[in-house]
Amino acid sequence: MPTQDYEIPDGLYYTKEHEWVSLEGNKAIVGLTDYAQKQLHEIVYVEIQKQGSEVKQFQTMGSVESVKSVSDVFSPVTGKISKVNMELVDSPELLNLDPYKKGWLVEISLTDFKNDLKNLLTAEQYAEHIVKLEE
Amino acid sequence: MSKATQKTHLCQYHKQNAKIIEFAGFHMPIWYKGIIPEHMAVRTHVGIFDITHMGRALITGPQTEAFLNYMTTNDASALTPLSAQYSTMCNENGGIKDDFVLSRLEQQKFLIVYNAANRQKDHQWLIQNSKPFNVKLEDASDKIAMFAVQGPNAQQTLQKITDTDLNKIERFKCGWTKLAGTDAFISRTGYTGEDGFEVFIWDTPTSNPEKAVQTWNAILKAGQEFGIEPCGLGARDTLRLEAGMCLYGNDIDETTTPLEAGLGFVVKLKKETFIGKDALIKQKQEGIKRKRVGLKMTEKGIPRPKQEVTNESHQKIGYVTSGTYSPILEYGIAIAYLSIENTTEGTKVLIKVRDKPLKAEVVKFPFYDPTKYGYARQK
Repeated sequence: MPTQDYEIPDGLYYTKEHEWVSLEGNKAIVGLTDYAQKQLHEIVYVEIQKQGSEVKQFQTMGSVESVKSVSDVFSPVTGKISKVNMELVDSPELLNLDPYKKGWLVEISLTDFKNDLKNLLTAEQYAEHIVKLEE
Repeated sequence: MSKATQKTHLCQYHKQNAKIIEFAGFHMPIWYKGIIPEHMAVRTHVGIFDITHMGRALITGPQTEAFLNYMTTNDASALTPLSAQYSTMCNENGGIKDDFVLSRLEQQKFLIVYNAANRQKDHQWLIQNSKPFNVKLEDASDKIAMFAVQGPNAQQTLQKITDTDLNKIERFKCGWTKLAGTDAFISRTGYTGEDGFEVFIWDTPTSNPEKAVQTWNAILKAGQEFGIEPCGLGARDTLRLEAGMCLYGNDIDETTTPLEAGLGFVVKLKKETFIGKDALIKQKQEGIKRKRVGLKMTEKGIPRPKQEVTNESHQKIGYVTSGTYSPILEYGIAIAYLSIENTTEGTKVLIKVRDKPLKAEVVKFPFYDPTKYGYARQK
């Protein structure tokens, strides 16, 4: 199973674009999955929209760069960015070292999570998605 | 139809140890441990690269020197046997066909090592222009394995597996030797800015890779005490970029001339004749209108090829041809072509990095402090 190579914690929601969502009341903590960080490798620069920015589900909210490449980061939910992980500015490598904890990207105040949820994957569904990608 | 993707002698090793990409028709390692640790190994200790994908041709015959002087911009007659030079070939307009290292093996025998992506184009160009000359051309790419051993400990590493005194092979000199018992041709050249050697294992087709694999393993073992790392194409690119060296297809191509590219030192306009000479003389007389420069980011962000460069009033003055994050300097660096009036060191410019104008400044090559890094470092 290729998913054994990637950590996919239960209890989080996922997107096919490899963002994760952790629900905390009416707020969502958002980050990049272990699969994403392993594909990107050696992340050296992170750019995320400012606190207070409105974001829509699956629209670009920033980018991450490895030495060789740039990738867009999409917001997995709709709402307003209420916090940005400023530690990533000086230590983008946290995205590689600890993608589900210290490497979180933003906190988003949710406006319509019920609707967002229809388009998100469970850990199990995301694992199946990874298996297909690795085939 | 393109040919099936080729593999080098080390394909098993790469498959087991590296992330693989396709580059110029070859399965090649992009990184093993990671671009940054491999890059740092070369700047501080030593690294080894499989560069067998590069094109290699042997040119022999009584008129080889005259032929090469006609084909290339540098002075091939300045090469004594067992020495090498960096050079370019141009088209009639002075546009760069390719850049390469030319080595003189014997009085009438030269080895040219050119870019992987240009293998067929260069071979055809040489053949096509060779008719008036009594020379023989042989594409030796498929029977020679080629490695680069680069970094401040490169000499010590190779010295452990050869009886040849490597002190006697100076920069841009070459020699025949045995490495761990295998016959090899080595030249003190490279594409990293560091001291180091390029190693050629002759008569070893990929169908019979033993000699190449043994030599690779022997070098890795010899370099262990110095912290040697196998390095992929990722680090090869960041290293050459920090050194300010051109990547064909990015920084130079048939629309750029060696004068614009800052490669005037390999253009010998006093030579009797060579392809592109008239165009280059004309350009020199009229003065170049744009020039290749280094740009360092003075705010956060990483420049990438094709991004637009403007002056501080947001008027377009050029574009980026290579860009990366510099592992040594820990900021973004770029190679760009700018209109000539903006190429003075210290000129402040803006690079449109993903549509955002970010501040950068014109700097000279190499990007790093040459007293601290690179072949001329103070020990």
